[in-house]
Amino acid sequence: MDSSAIWIVIALPILGFLVQSLGGGLIVKAVGEAKSKSILGFLAVAPIALAFIIGAMITTKVGAGPATVVTGPSWIQIAGFSIPFEWIVDPLSMTMVLIITGIGSLIHLYATGYMAKEKDYARFFTYLNLFIAAMLILVLGNNLALLFMGWEGVGLCSYLLIGFWYKDTANARAANKAFIVNRIGDWGLVLGLFLIVCVVLDVVPKETRLLSYDVILPALKTALVAKPALATSIGLLLFVGAAGKSAQFPLYVWLPDAMAGPTPVSALIHAATMVTSGVVLLNRMHVVFECSPVASVVVACVGAFTALYGALIAFGQTDIKKILAYSTVSQLGFMFIGCGVGAYWTGMFHVTTHAFFKALLFLGAGAVIHAMAHDQDVRNYGGLSKYLKITFATMLVGFLAIAGFPFLSGFFSKESILGAALSGNQAVIDGVNYGAICGWVGLAVAFLTAAYMTRMMLLTFGGKTERWRTIEPNHDAHGDHHGLDKDHKPHEVGATMWVPLAVLAVLSAVGGLVLNGKFEEWLYPQGLAVLPKVAEHASNLQMYSMIVAFGGMAFGAAIYWRGLPASQGWDETKWSSIRLAQRDQFGFDSLTTDLSVTGGAELSKFLDSTVEHTVTSGRALASATSGAGGVMKFLQTGFVRWYAMVMLIGVVAFIGYFALAIHGGAN
Amino acid sequence: MLSMLVLLPIIAGIVLGLAPIKKAPVAAAIGIFVSLVTLGIGLAILAGFQADSAQLQLTERFSWIASLGIDYHLAVDGLSIWLVVLTGLLSAIAVGYGALNITSDLKRFMACVLMLEGAILGSFLSLDLVLFFTFFELTLLPMWVMITTWGGPNRAKAAVKFVAFTFGGSVFMLIGIFALAYLHFNTTGRWSFDVIDIQGTVANGTLWAKFPEAQSWIFWFFAVAFLVKAPCFPLHGWISDTYAESPIVGPILSSAMVKLGSYGLLRFCLPLFPEAVKANASLLAGLAVVGIVYGAMIAAVQKDIRRLLAYSTVSHMGFVLLGIFSLTHIGMVGGALQQISHGVGAALLFLLVGYLIKRKGTADLREFGGLKASLPILSTMFLIGMLGSVGLPGLNGFVGEFLSLLGAFQAGYIHVVVAAFGVVVAAVYLLYMFQQVFYGPSREEGAAVKDLRAPEFVLAGILLALVVIGGLQPNLFTKQTEASLGAVRGMVLEEVNRRPVYGKFPAPKPKPTMQVVG
Amino acid sequence: MNGVPLAGYLGLALFMFSTGVVGVLVRRNPIVIFMCIELMLNAVNLTFVAFARYRVQALPDDPVLAQSQTMAGQMMVVFVMAVAAAEVAVGLGIIMAIYRLRHNIDIDDMNILKG
Repeated sequence: MDSSAIWIVIALPILGFLVQSLGGGLIVKAVGEAKSKSILGFLAVAPIALAFIIGAMITTKVGAGPATVVTGPSWIQIAGFSIPFEWIVDPLSMTMVLIITGIGSLIHLYATGYMAKEKDYARFFTYLNLFIAAMLILVLGNNLALLFMGWEGVGLCSYLLIGFWYKDTANARAANKAFIVNRIGDWGLVLGLFLIVCVVLDVVPKETRLLSYDVILPALKTALVAKPALATSIGLLLFVGAAGKSAQFPLYVWLPDAMAGPTPVSALIHAATMVTSGVVLLNRMHVVFECSPVASVVVACVGAFTALYGALIAFGQTDIKKILAYSTVSQLGFMFIGCGVGAYWTGMFHVTTHAFFKALLFLGAGAVIHAMAHDQDVRNYGGLSKYLKITFATMLVGFLAIAGFPFLSGFFSKESILGAALSGNQAVIDGVNYGAICGWVGLAVAFLTAAYMTRMMLLTFGGKTERWRTIEPNHDAHGDHHGLDKDHKPHEVGATMWVPLAVLAVLSAVGGLVLNGKFEEWLYPQGLAVLPKVAEHASNLQMYSMIVAFGGMAFGAAIYWRGLPASQGWDETKWSSIRLAQRDQFGFDSLTTDLSVTGGAELSKFLDSTVEHTVTSGRALASATSGAGGVMKFLQTGFVRWYAMVMLIGVVAFIGYFALAIHGGAN
Repeated sequence: MLSMLVLLPIIAGIVLGLAPIKKAPVAAAIGIFVSLVTLGIGLAILAGFQADSAQLQLTERFSWIASLGIDYHLAVDGLSIWLVVLTGLLSAIAVGYGALNITSDLKRFMACVLMLEGAILGSFLSLDLVLFFTFFELTLLPMWVMITTWGGPNRAKAAVKFVAFTFGGSVFMLIGIFALAYLHFNTTGRWSFDVIDIQGTVANGTLWAKFPEAQSWIFWFFAVAFLVKAPCFPLHGWISDTYAESPIVGPILSSAMVKLGSYGLLRFCLPLFPEAVKANASLLAGLAVVGIVYGAMIAAVQKDIRRLLAYSTVSHMGFVLLGIFSLTHIGMVGGALQQISHGVGAALLFLLVGYLIKRKGTADLREFGGLKASLPILSTMFLIGMLGSVGLPGLNGFVGEFLSLLGAFQAGYIHVVVAAFGVVVAAVYLLYMFQQVFYGPSREEGAAVKDLRAPEFVLAGILLALVVIGGLQPNLFTKQTEASLGAVRGMVLEEVNRRPVYGKFPAPKPKPTMQVVG
Repeated sequence: MNGVPLAGYLGLALFMFSTGVVGVLVRRNPIVIFMCIELMLNAVNLTFVAFARYRVQALPDDPVLAQSQTMAGQMMVVFVMAVAAAEVAVGLGIIMAIYRLRHNIDIDDMNILKG
């Protein structure tokens, strides 16, 4: 299929969005609420699935040559500066298109089952289809402005979907937090864009498409090779944007809260696609980072720290979705390690495999939550493998994949990242091999990953105790249990929900084996822009990887095989101080929230009560005027003849002055 | 054509105010009819407007007070064309809103709206300084009547504040006008208050060559009046009380009226005081940036939804000023576009806030909550309007802000780093507002509030459509303005004698000069 | 000028004006004050006419042009008279209103102008 068919790929989800938003209410009215759900569900899934098919057909034609640009009407068009609607069809964008529409249609299908009891069905799919459209614009746009449009668009959908159950103020707060923290990242991204425009204009002064990739990438290469400092500024600004969207430290704080949204949303947006936009951005703009070792090292180190930090916090979480959320934060850190050391394709490889297994784990978690009357606390689970056989089997695959079990997808992608990192590559400054440090940290995190995922799996499915039957009556302080009672009997999910799980399980199992080693050739057929070939293999790495994977699993199993240890039970006052710190994100979230929200509010209130109410409101001026008026009041007696007298005196004085002046002047 | 545009609403307003009409529907019908005809004329002018030219078009010029060289001089060009249409549109919306909601003395209300419309249009179209000043001051009167008659409990104070601020500013301008005319007389031996005449003497350098120190003074005299109107920090003190105390039509029309400030800067300050503008551009851009962030921060702690939006106006108009004073082509186009975007977007939000206040009887954010369930249509419209205001790409708020910031960045202003942060704070207060009103548990007692009626929906729908169109096809709004902005920019930046002169275009194609950063 | 010099007119005007000023300041009856104001206005009128006439003599060469220029002074007189008439009408109206309100028009008894 011709690459101009990319228009159809983008139009389909937009069409779905319009149908759901404008026609959703009508359909519900026409056929009744119960019946409308199957229609609406079909109308939501079909465009995405169709987009996937068309996308796959386009992808087969994408070769190693230069990227195809499909140009459309202009968006912003002024003298000397133009931004058209134009799409880039190249391996990078098509990889993302396949992930977005492929995983997206599976999750849409799952959601038709998961949200079946929801009243606002059409609204949910309106947002979800809009999200797919925005995400496609993000990856397919051939200029940074369209990327930004998609960037903000996915942020918006994320905001809307986190706040989907809007009656709970906490959800609305989480939604606001996500949007605002992302905006902080966007601040950096926008400034980076501006800087790029100026730099590019310096190289190609006649050009007007100052944000289009086919213009800026060569121009940036010319401009930045000799100017690493400039490259560092651009790179760091772009990275601020990437860190916001991809939840890197310190801008990760929104992602755990974002779990307030429905679980399919968490799977699609907050695990598989949107949060990987930062990695896509870094791949797209790799030339900037290639020119700047400093920016690259920052990327790698922030990635490594985030990976470690997220993994540590995951141990302190009891909400199954929060465990997965911190795991996502941690895995995103891995991707940034890969990009930071210059092996950008390893980041994309991990994006792909992570999309498979993390979507699977989230959807599986959704099935568990569904089965457990919307209780999300793993302390209330236990022994669920007996009831949820399909869910357990598929999640087991996902778990093994993320834990790095040999020859499953996560094993390969993690190994390629760590291999590139341990070789140092670009992340070496003044002889200090930051890449290798990040690589060793990454290995440690791989151990932790295996351990905390084992904890999650065993607490959920393992053991013989069905803990929800033994909930202590007074531990309820930590949240309600949505009617989970002693006699609750978990039930397996329906076909619309387990079919996606099964497909994802297959992908998680074989995805790595099939794709291993192909990403470099596929995404970077001509090699990198500036750097020489990146070394990818460290000695004995496979062995280390297996050791940490099995070691982590064994470590986790040793603690949790028999169920929930008493020291980690419902009574959180009995927790060890380390675990408490992990639960509270080492105090970082509350600290930053206090500083920014409370501090900002206090400062604003202070300004409001001082500057606004005295200076700018004119109160100072007004009181000065009325003070002067008070002084002058005695002159105003109210007697007409007094006024006449004053006037006379004035006139005499006036004339007298001029008479004297003229007289004096004459002499 | 232009005279008709200006005089029709004014005369209709006066006649309507004096006519013995007792029945409210008749007054409403007349008001709606006149405002729609005016809007129609405005659209006809837009349709016939020659887009790629900086020339003044549809000029009408008669001698008014011949001995002083005061003319009745109307013309339209790229600087004013969209503002004229915006004013016509917002007035029609305001009239429609008034017909639906004002219950007392509707006749006089319609008269006020129409006169205000005429005065604003007159200001946008006048090219004679005295004529401009007359219309500029005439805007105060209907607004004052509107606040004092249909305003809230503290209307007296608000009205005084509004008049004191704007009047205080324009007194300076009056002095400036006379000083400028006198200097022009002194240079050429002719009395003239005509911008075109005076700009000619400025462009060939004779005027300021003779009085170099006077330029900066007279510039500030003009600028103060416009900055008060704009409203620019720290001269924005009137806007909060005015918006909160006047009927909701006030802010809707004011969304067009505040553009008089930025328009005045483009029309008068930039062409007439080029050296002073260049010297003070970075200072003014700094004030704009302070306004962006300060307005957003103060908005974040407001409890009255109208005050919140009033401060958001301060913040958003900051982008207009930042774009203008970047003195780059991109920035100026961005600023000019932001005028229109903000006019549409702010009017939409105020309209919807008006609907909300009518339904809940209060504007206190703390009294709202959970309205999304009972007001799905209103909440969706509000959401889109709010996102436009937040600056979401694809909606109209984004393009103007983006271009303004980019222009300022090109100019090498480091304050852009701070200004861009204003966008973050904008998200804070707007999302907070949305959350307070629509999210959370429902706080309704008794019967649920009703969603939008059809006429209400239509009024908001028109503005909403413009918010979306403006975001996806901003060209529609920029292509008419670019040539004129290029000319104005030339008037500031070019050397003496190479400056474009009104009536002697075609100016050279505007070509952005860029400053290298890094 | 029929033998009377300019100074004579000005002297008379000065006398009339001074009389008017003194009258305004010392009398308490508003009617009389009004008359005194009239006196002052007429003094000014007299000055106008006198100067106008005087200027015609000072510009002998083109009598038509000179005449038209000096019309300004005589115009002003008409203008002042019109204003004076209007002022008296308003003023007397105010006095009537005050009288109805307070049955007293002594000017020293009222200070309602005091803010």
